[in-house]
Amino acid sequence: MPDSVQRTAAFILSGYALYIPANIFPIMTVSRFGQGEPHTIIGGIVALVESDMLPIALLVLVASILVPLLKLLGITLLLFCAHFRWQINARLWTRLYRVIAFVGRWSMLDIFMISILVGLVDLGGVASVIAGPAATAFAAVVVLTMMAAKMFDPRLLWDYQR
Amino acid sequence: MRRINLDACPECDVLLNRAFPVMGEKAHCPRCGYLLQRPRRHSIERTFALSVSGLILMMPANLMPLISIKIFGNSNDGSLWSGVVMLIKDDMWIVAALVFLSSMLFPVLTIILSLLISGHLFFDKPNPNLAVWMRWLQHLDEWAMLEVYMLGIIVACVKLSSLAELKFGFGLYAFVALLMVAVTLSSGLDHYQFWQRINDMQKQQA
Ligand SMILES: [Zn+2]
Repeated sequence: MPDSVQRTAAFILSGYALYIPANIFPIMTVSRFGQGEPHTIIGGIVALVESDMLPIALLVLVASILVPLLKLLGITLLLFCAHFRWQINARLWTRLYRVIAFVGRWSMLDIFMISILVGLVDLGGVASVIAGPAATAFAAVVVLTMMAAKMFDPRLLWDYQR
Repeated sequence: MRRINLDACPECDVLLNRAFPVMGEKAHCPRCGYLLQRPRRHSIERTFALSVSGLILMMPANLMPLISIKIFGNSNDGSLWSGVVMLIKDDMWIVAALVFLSSMLFPVLTIILSLLISGHLFFDKPNPNLAVWMRWLQHLDEWAMLEVYMLGIIVACVKLSSLAELKFGFGLYAFVALLMVAVTLSSGLDHYQFWQRINDMQKQQA
């Protein structure tokens, strides 16, 4: 693929830029009896921990915080390897690439959960859920990192190995 | 010229002798470990049967209520589609588009493409578009995320369980069935065999 490194880098940089608003702005607002309560991604995880749902809290933590971050960092490392022609264990790094390409989709968990809540909890003044601006940023991060993984050509890791 | 049986590994480009794995075996690239071949029994017939059942499940899974909720006598139900509609109403266009594509349109397209391809191979009908359809199917498979959506349903239910009364709707059963069909479909598709058949058909035509 032509310009694989440049294209991947462009997607990754945009991904980093949007990772910040995705985490500081509210991802959804839960209203009960007219009282709105905005939640960030972290806030949602904390709420799960407080209501004694630790396994689910961990699941969301991995899918929404750790996976996107590890993807961004992992692809950045792969780019450095390919660009500076580091002598590496290409087999191992190809495996890292495959893991990154595989786990990316699971970050959509939060987006799907919000879509379900928004459609389901629509009870006028009693209770409602509205998606927040971080949802758009987070959705963009997921797509950008998936595109980055797709653009990256694992052949680059093999070409210059001795 | 004698034809030599050489394949390039799609992931690291090393040239390989063609492997002949039998049923139950897997052929990996010796250099990078990429899964090259994984023969599946009756792959064409199974893909055909599964995509027909997927086609039947599509409408109820996408449009019928997955869950219904009740708080203080007020009730509402939600489907895959109603979530997308509400996101559009709240002006969350990007999120709505992404949810629509990855949980509704792309899964449906993968099933339609599987049906088209396996149908043509099953009835031995050559078609110049087969290779294009195969490539589209491989791309779309990555962006169809029913299993992630299922996890989203579970997390949403856990979050709501302490606040409201929940009931599962018929759409949820259809969705779970569709998810199983989609998973068996993509794991049972023997890409190597499909490509081989498509190439053979095109050669016969020429
Ligand atoms: Zn290889």
